[in-house]
Amino acid sequence: MTAATRRPAPLVQHRAIALIACALLFACASAPPPKELVDARDAYRRAEAGAAAKMVPAELHVARESLDAAERSFGDAPTSWDAIDSAYIALRKAQRAEALGNAAVAVKAKEGSDKEARRAQQDLLLTTDAKLRNTEGALAKERDSLAKERESLAKEREATASERAARLAAETKAKDAMDALAKSLAVRSEARGTVITLSGGVVFATGRATILVGAQAQLNQVADALKTQAEHHFSVEGHTDNQGSDRVNDGLSARRANAVRDYLIVRGVSAAAITATGFGSSKPVGDNHTAEGRAMNRRVEIIVDKAP
Amino acid sequence: MSKPRSWSLALAIAALGCGGAPRPEARIASSQGAIRGAEEAGAEGVPQATLHLKLAQEQRQQALELIKSGDNHRADLLLARAEADAELAVALAREATAKAEAEKAAEDLETLKKRIAP
Repeated sequence: MTAATRRPAPLVQHRAIALIACALLFACASAPPPKELVDARDAYRRAEAGAAAKMVPAELHVARESLDAAERSFGDAPTSWDAIDSAYIALRKAQRAEALGNAAVAVKAKEGSDKEARRAQQDLLLTTDAKLRNTEGALAKERDSLAKERESLAKEREATASERAARLAAETKAKDAMDALAKSLAVRSEARGTVITLSGGVVFATGRATILVGAQAQLNQVADALKTQAEHHFSVEGHTDNQGSDRVNDGLSARRANAVRDYLIVRGVSAAAITATGFGSSKPVGDNHTAEGRAMNRRVEIIVDKAP
Repeated sequence: MSKPRSWSLALAIAALGCGGAPRPEARIASSQGAIRGAEEAGAEGVPQATLHLKLAQEQRQQALELIKSGDNHRADLLLARAEADAELAVALAREATAKAEAEKAAEDLETLKKRIAP
């Protein structure tokens, strides 16, 4: 072998060594990353895209550094325990950052809900308070109005009671007066009312319409009794016997009735409540054929009408 | 360099490489602290957190075995993994608690709103 033919031998050797070195390098560079590193990269991307970047940036930074360290380990020795373990740790750090980011979001959401709940409670309190005040106000008004109503009712009851008492007293007085009258005069009860009869012979002189002085006490007593019958109407009726002409008797009976009316008015009986009429001899109560009957017919009747 | 001298140097490097890593005291303590922290954070009440707590405990136990057999370097890495799992368990427990509390607050708010304007 010549020197020239021998010369290529070292070159071939060098080429072979270089090829082996390249193959080894290629093998190293193309070694697939361990599952832990793939997962760590994914987890980091997830954390970075999630809440961690905004809520817990420091934790995300720690995860980033851990992932960088894992990438370096993988670069240095792809299949070493160092590479696998550091990728595992990077995965956990990324997961931790993600979890803490989510936790921070939840804490913030809770704070938001709590704040809103406090505001709502405050509003509720204010509304309830306002309602309570309104109710209290309405209740106070109601109570006032009730008290006034009660007061007015009491007054009304009192008035009714005193009115009743007054009416009772008046009725008693009226009855007493009429009873007293009945002891000295002819008083009888008829369908048209209570009839008080004054004998014509006692009150008037024959053929006259002037009240005798002796009859005044009797008429005073009648006037006092009538004044107690405030709510009644009184009719004074004059009557004669059948002696003489009707014209004379009618005129006489009317004058006598008026005389009695006037006297009673003077004695305090209301003029508006008393009327006078002369009936002459048209309404006898006794027999005109006898002296006694005629005396009975000569009369003045005062009728107290039944209750108005 | 003479042959005997180069051999002794190689032996020294090998000795350093194999049994030279110191016992990872700091990591033993910090991993233990992280596991305790996860337990205190209530990790055992949250399924996903429980899983990582268990992983942390197992890896720590495995690391302690490795320390006994003298593999301190690998033990250190396992302890770091255990610590990372324990810390993740804490975070997961915190996330679960925060989410539950947020849900409860939202429900309470809803109930209150219904009371105000049924």
